[in-house]
Amino acid sequence: MKTLVAGTVPVDKFPYYVGTPSFDGKNLVLGQKVLPIGMGTLSLYSAAYLTIAHLKGEPPTLMTVGDVGKADGSRILYQKLTEGIEELKPDVLALHYVMPIITLVRALALKLQKINPKPIVVADAGFMYAFKASKMGHVCNIFTPDPGEMAFLADKDAVHPAYLERHLFEIDSTSVESLIEKVKDVEGLPKMLVVKGAIDYIVLDGRILFKIDDPMVPYLEPIGGTGDTLTGILTGLIAHGLPLEKAAYYACKINRIAGQLSNPTPKTRVNEIISNIPKAIDLVLKI
Amino acid sequence: MERGLIVFNHVKEAFKAEKVLKASGFQIELTIPPKDMVKGCDLAISFNLNERLAVERALMENGVQYSDIVDVVKVSTKPLDIVKKVDYGDTIMFRCGSMKITIDKRDGIILNISGGGCPDVPYLFLQLVGKKIFEAKNPTSIGYSLCAYSLGKAFEEALKFYENSGRWNSSS
Repeated sequence: MKTLVAGTVPVDKFPYYVGTPSFDGKNLVLGQKVLPIGMGTLSLYSAAYLTIAHLKGEPPTLMTVGDVGKADGSRILYQKLTEGIEELKPDVLALHYVMPIITLVRALALKLQKINPKPIVVADAGFMYAFKASKMGHVCNIFTPDPGEMAFLADKDAVHPAYLERHLFEIDSTSVESLIEKVKDVEGLPKMLVVKGAIDYIVLDGRILFKIDDPMVPYLEPIGGTGDTLTGILTGLIAHGLPLEKAAYYACKINRIAGQLSNPTPKTRVNEIISNIPKAIDLVLKI
Repeated sequence: MERGLIVFNHVKEAFKAEKVLKASGFQIELTIPPKDMVKGCDLAISFNLNERLAVERALMENGVQYSDIVDVVKVSTKPLDIVKKVDYGDTIMFRCGSMKITIDKRDGIILNISGGGCPDVPYLFLQLVGKKIFEAKNPTSIGYSLCAYSLGKAFEEALKFYENSGRWNSSS
């Protein structure tokens, strides 16, 4: 399957890039430029890349541009994605870091709705915020929130996790299941949610399909990028052809085991976990 | 009291305006813009509308750019400022909204930053991780988004925790 990962990188004025970078396990080489894997789009891309490579699939394409928060690169990304999606024709589209801009994501959503066949869309980070705020999340197949972001999804009027209702923030990590109940009533969300946290939840149409808490690796939460790797592995498994429910279940397992294999502490960097993804795939899928 | 609302094109300008107006003694509140003006990642400032001219002057004199000032009847949605903690023993994580910062209790080093979705989050990770919290810049002074705002709240709690734990003097 053809996979496209789109998101910004935290380098000011980094030029627009679309292509397949080479990956040496620590860095991604985009044309003449070398970017180290930190948290964010490059973590997601690297996790997807390794998952797909290990399963002997077609390497994912990366669409990216620099943005340190000024929204300049994000505007370019929305535009290029909306204009180029028909030509790129991905089967799987993973959307990641971007400045949430409602008008621009709405244009992208309308374009995605018109494409036949529509790619399987997984949205995380800023793209997830933008789809939710614009009430166009139903165009996506999967959102991948953490408990704080679940509270944001459960608050039908919130346009950003910084604005969610205080009582929802109070209960978020202690009662994810009550938030799952609440999102049933929120319009404009995808059918499937993969809620990543101390316990991962796979939710379909408001119903919990799977709760995954094994292995329990408590230090994963503070490590920047461990949510990104989960979304990347999920993207890779979908590209391998697994049904969404199975891909989600195995992605949670593989991410936990890759984490466990790294013997993590709150100081661990995500690239240590990423390097264990192939081994974790073997252990989970019994390859 | 009738309130006015200052609306910005960029969250960064709202951060700047907050500093300027607070330093000038105005009673202000950070808040969400009106529904029809929300773009996605926005922050507005509400103030006493009677002080409009003085507020405009303070912003102009300090080079703060804003897109509009509107009258509002009621402003109720403030950004989240509650911070939760998770104690891991030698390290401790502070979380506001979806933004998390983890420090080493012994030396105050910022060990990790996670969560969020705006593009300055990975940028802030690169700028802050590895630095001591009492020497690092507040995320709101170098970030641009609401995620930076939330991280700033978590950062302030982490700094307060570190200072109150009495290690400030022994480490600096």
